[in-house]
Amino acid sequence: MVRFSLGRSARPQQHAAVRSRNRRPQQAQPSGGDRPPPPVPAAAPMDSSPEPEPEPGPPTGGDPAPADPEVPRLTVTQVEQMNVEARVTDIYRVLWGGSPNTQSIILELWRDQHIEYLTHGLRHLGPAFQILDANRPWLCYWMVHPLALLDEVLDDDLEDDIVDFLARCQDKDGGYGGGPGQLPHLATTYAAVNTLVTIGSERALSSINRDNLYKFMLRMKEESGAFRMHDGGEIDVRASYTAISVASLVNILDVELAKGVGDYIASCQTYEGGIAGEPYAEAHGGYTFCGLAALIMLNEVEKLDLPSLIDWVAFRQGVECGFQGRTNKLVDGCYSFWQGAAIALTQKLVMVIDEQLKSSYSSKKPSGDDACGTSSSGCALEKLSAAVDYARFGFDFVQRSNQVGPLFHNLALQQYILLCAQVLEGGLRDKPGKNRDHYHSCYCLSGLSVSQYCAMTDTNSCPLPQHVLGPYSNLLEPIHPLYNVVLDKYYTAYEFFQPSD
Amino acid sequence: MHGRPRRAAKPEDEEASSAKAAKLRDLQAQVLQNQHSGTYTKEAIGLSFKLLEINPEAYTAWNYRKLAFQHNIKELSEPEAIKSAIDDELRVVEVALRQNPKSYGAWYHRKWLLNQKLAPVDSKREFGLLDKLLKVDARNFHGWNYRRFLARFMGVPDEEELNYTMDKISDNFSNYSAWHNRSILLSNLLIKQNKGFESKQKIFSQEFELVTQALFIGPSDQSGWFYHLWLLAQTSTPDNPQLIASWPCSGAKLSSSLVKEKVEQNTLSSIWCHSLQERTVPMVLYFNEPVKGLNQSSVKLKSDLDFGKDIHWRALSMTDSGYSSCWTTYLQIANECSSSQQYSVEVSIPCSDDIVSRSGSNYNCPVHFTFTIELISDDAQDIDLFDKPVAYFSEPLESHGNCEPIPFDLLKITGALVEEDSNWHFERLSEEIDLFRELPDDNCKFVKLTLARLLLACAAIKSCGRSPHERKRYCEEALGHFSDLIRLDPSHKQYYEDERSLVLMDKLTCDMETFVKHCSVQVQPNSIPLNHVQLCKLSLTHVGFAERLMWVQVLDLSHNSLRSIEGLEALQQLVSLNISNNHISSFTALEPLTKIMFLKVLDLSSNEIGAHSMDTTRYICSSPFSHKIEAHEAFEECQKKNINVEEYWDAILFFKPLKLGQLDIKGNAVASKENFRTLVMTLIPSLKWLNGECVN
Repeated sequence: MVRFSLGRSARPQQHAAVRSRNRRPQQAQPSGGDRPPPPVPAAAPMDSSPEPEPEPGPPTGGDPAPADPEVPRLTVTQVEQMNVEARVTDIYRVLWGGSPNTQSIILELWRDQHIEYLTHGLRHLGPAFQILDANRPWLCYWMVHPLALLDEVLDDDLEDDIVDFLARCQDKDGGYGGGPGQLPHLATTYAAVNTLVTIGSERALSSINRDNLYKFMLRMKEESGAFRMHDGGEIDVRASYTAISVASLVNILDVELAKGVGDYIASCQTYEGGIAGEPYAEAHGGYTFCGLAALIMLNEVEKLDLPSLIDWVAFRQGVECGFQGRTNKLVDGCYSFWQGAAIALTQKLVMVIDEQLKSSYSSKKPSGDDACGTSSSGCALEKLSAAVDYARFGFDFVQRSNQVGPLFHNLALQQYILLCAQVLEGGLRDKPGKNRDHYHSCYCLSGLSVSQYCAMTDTNSCPLPQHVLGPYSNLLEPIHPLYNVVLDKYYTAYEFFQPSD
Repeated sequence: MHGRPRRAAKPEDEEASSAKAAKLRDLQAQVLQNQHSGTYTKEAIGLSFKLLEINPEAYTAWNYRKLAFQHNIKELSEPEAIKSAIDDELRVVEVALRQNPKSYGAWYHRKWLLNQKLAPVDSKREFGLLDKLLKVDARNFHGWNYRRFLARFMGVPDEEELNYTMDKISDNFSNYSAWHNRSILLSNLLIKQNKGFESKQKIFSQEFELVTQALFIGPSDQSGWFYHLWLLAQTSTPDNPQLIASWPCSGAKLSSSLVKEKVEQNTLSSIWCHSLQERTVPMVLYFNEPVKGLNQSSVKLKSDLDFGKDIHWRALSMTDSGYSSCWTTYLQIANECSSSQQYSVEVSIPCSDDIVSRSGSNYNCPVHFTFTIELISDDAQDIDLFDKPVAYFSEPLESHGNCEPIPFDLLKITGALVEEDSNWHFERLSEEIDLFRELPDDNCKFVKLTLARLLLACAAIKSCGRSPHERKRYCEEALGHFSDLIRLDPSHKQYYEDERSLVLMDKLTCDMETFVKHCSVQVQPNSIPLNHVQLCKLSLTHVGFAERLMWVQVLDLSHNSLRSIEGLEALQQLVSLNISNNHISSFTALEPLTKIMFLKVLDLSSNEIGAHSMDTTRYICSSPFSHKIEAHEAFEECQKKNINVEEYWDAILFFKPLKLGQLDIKGNAVASKENFRTLVMTLIPSLKWLNGECVN
């Protein structure tokens, strides 16, 4: 069994650091990449030390000035890290000590409790939520989306209420604000559109004013190509992602909106390999997902140094089995999605290239495939080369199977989410010791779905039981990993937003 | 996106909370009302403050305040009044940040205010605020972003900011945000200062000391290792791009003739150049790092030969964005010539602002060299390499009688490549090596990997005029570390194997004594003398140091573990390649070969092409087969022959540009597939031998 090192264990990140850079340029990349070993049936942390580690000294409480190199002292960061590792290990020890039967029970996803927590939130939120008043579409998304992941159908009334509410958040000149009357904002627009797509009714989808939405996005676009969050707001990679994701999802993405975005995002990739929120800042899991997903939707992913990005993300998964958001930060359940989905996206990049190549010559698409969007059958080729069909990039992308196994330890991640992020009363959290909330519930469950499906080779089948940790009933609905909406809902929306001719 | 609701802790707080929420709803409504009506009275602005005090995320209120500020500031002329208006705004931001130190809106509002440039900025106040906030959360990236903004805005010298990061690191050396900012600041400093090596040496010596100290205190802490990595990269690469090799090399004599007596004295200096039959000379320039900007003015060619109007340089490596360490052009000779004539070609690459590296440094290491081309107009026998299928030697080269050594001195283009400061770099790295050797081994992979990297960096410097024995010693030691790592850390085996392969190739090719054991001039009966290199049975997984192989015409890499042949595209002289018995798993992995225009013989037998559905190669190169448009024709051609194009697209893209005379591909899963033979025959009309059999 895997040995878990307490305290001064070396996280695998370190040699991620040492690899990948400082190479002679012509030897750009290793031929094989760093692929984890084939998934093992039992849950095991990704990169346990093969050698026993020395027992750690007692935490010193974080003496800030380690002046004398002879006596190793620990930094605050190290003490915090040790505490988290110890806590997580205690939890896992219970798992390893249990019989297969108990293990299966321990590893259960508490569906009913989560559904209860999330639906209750949709109907009534306590006053403590006042600070999220400018994020109300987000609250909708953080509840509606995980409920869809759990395959829970909402009452029609409730759905209608949400659609009505979001309609009131929609600005008359396009885009959605954080609440009725608030300025339209790209992030809340993303949340609102994803919520409506997840609801998926005709009423929901047709409530989006796409013409105005397009105009709003153009207004948010800077000359450099990057997007501003809102009128007079900040510019960052998040803004670019939310804009491109929404535009792609409702099929309004065009060359005008796409211009220059890719270069801006690429300029935010750091020497570590991940993507930062803005140039010169530190690589960060959330922005790495945003940047990568946006570039895929723009079909400009070659602008990134992908191997170093994969490296960086892969090594953010630590001995706790979950992901950290930045170098030397603590594990956090929400990065199960941001980092986990980012690396899962790279599993499909291989196929995007294939698909482009095929579609560039092949006009013999299945005749019944109206998703092609071409009215005249004969000249598909000319059409494809003449106009860039941006919506198609997201569609083709998810159709592709994963022809490469997971580049992170997907079972370990499930273990972290199920054992460390679940709260018995329902809802999920950052890490043991923290409170549950809707944001973490949404992204822990999204990450769980990604890690359950990423070992699949065929898009049309179901994941094998050995890829789903715990009872098979833990299996969630699959998502479209670029937009983070449930896949079925995405297909409905995709068809809905296709030109009607 | 990372906003989190903070739940009220106790039920008895609920009531108070409810009252607050009601108040907030009112406030929100009023502020929105004021925003819509454009009401900018003192009272209205005060309401927005109250709202932001409770909810700093209320970005509409931030926007309202900006509009209000702009509206009201127009009325003010007294500097005092303006200052007080600004102070009000700054205070609101401070209050909001106290509530939520990660509020995007609040931080941005402050930046916006400063950018209005209406009054001098109170730097004490700004930096004081940051000190306070970064004390609470030393990793708050909003804070660090603002700090970088502020330092730029105020023109704070980078040196001072360095001191600040130092303070933060002393507080907690695990603080990677501080280390990261150091790397940004130092990069800036180096670009700005440009004072030459002295200052760089000083800076980096200190940095190494600093980070080593941190690593010794906490060898398990990642922050220091990341920073060390960055430092090493900075130290071991020269500031400016350099040309490290070229083909033809300096003094080379290319000939299209096959005159018998020439064969006797065939050496590297006089080389039969197959492509001259088509009056073409491929020329390759190899740089130490990816560059761009090669054109007719940055690379000057002088010759009596007429190369036509346009000399167009193409990037050979598969890197994206136009940068490449390897560039080629095909010189098309347009001269008429009546008899045997020699022409010299002078190449000079002056200091140039056109040629720049990724980091923006320009080329400032002028190079000048000459080679000659011998054109023979006689109806020289049209050499046919393919009377018989070409066989490879199976035994080691020494045992072959008709082999001649290669004069290696001709491989180096100029001596200008030895760096002035290499002593410093070398000493610095040696010190590091000594230090890390002292770190308790404990089979710690991080120490081992860093040591290996340091050793290799040292070896690279060693190559500039130092003893090859020393270099080999470094390689040996690094090889030992990689072997340990393969054992210790099997989940990253492939990576370590690739690294190991590179070191091995370095070791084998870095000096004549070793390399010569793998080289020969191959003279086969009724054929032409060809420069031959054999690197078999070495467990190589990856090709490196291609710049040392650019003169090679026959290359035998069989019986290795190659998964990729990236790098071989630089070998534009290559006529025959044997990569049989390797682990090549797809045609995509062979893409470099599509760039070698005169490749005639290819042995791919006993690989794994078609055996796996997964093709990891395509991860590694950013855009394989970027020339896909040209493939259109080939696809149509194949469709006519009922070949399943969807299944074979990568094979089609691979074979189309090749002009092979001989191909061996047996022992691959793909070779036994339906139609595969037809496909090959369709796409390579020049093919005479397939799997050892003559084809029509």
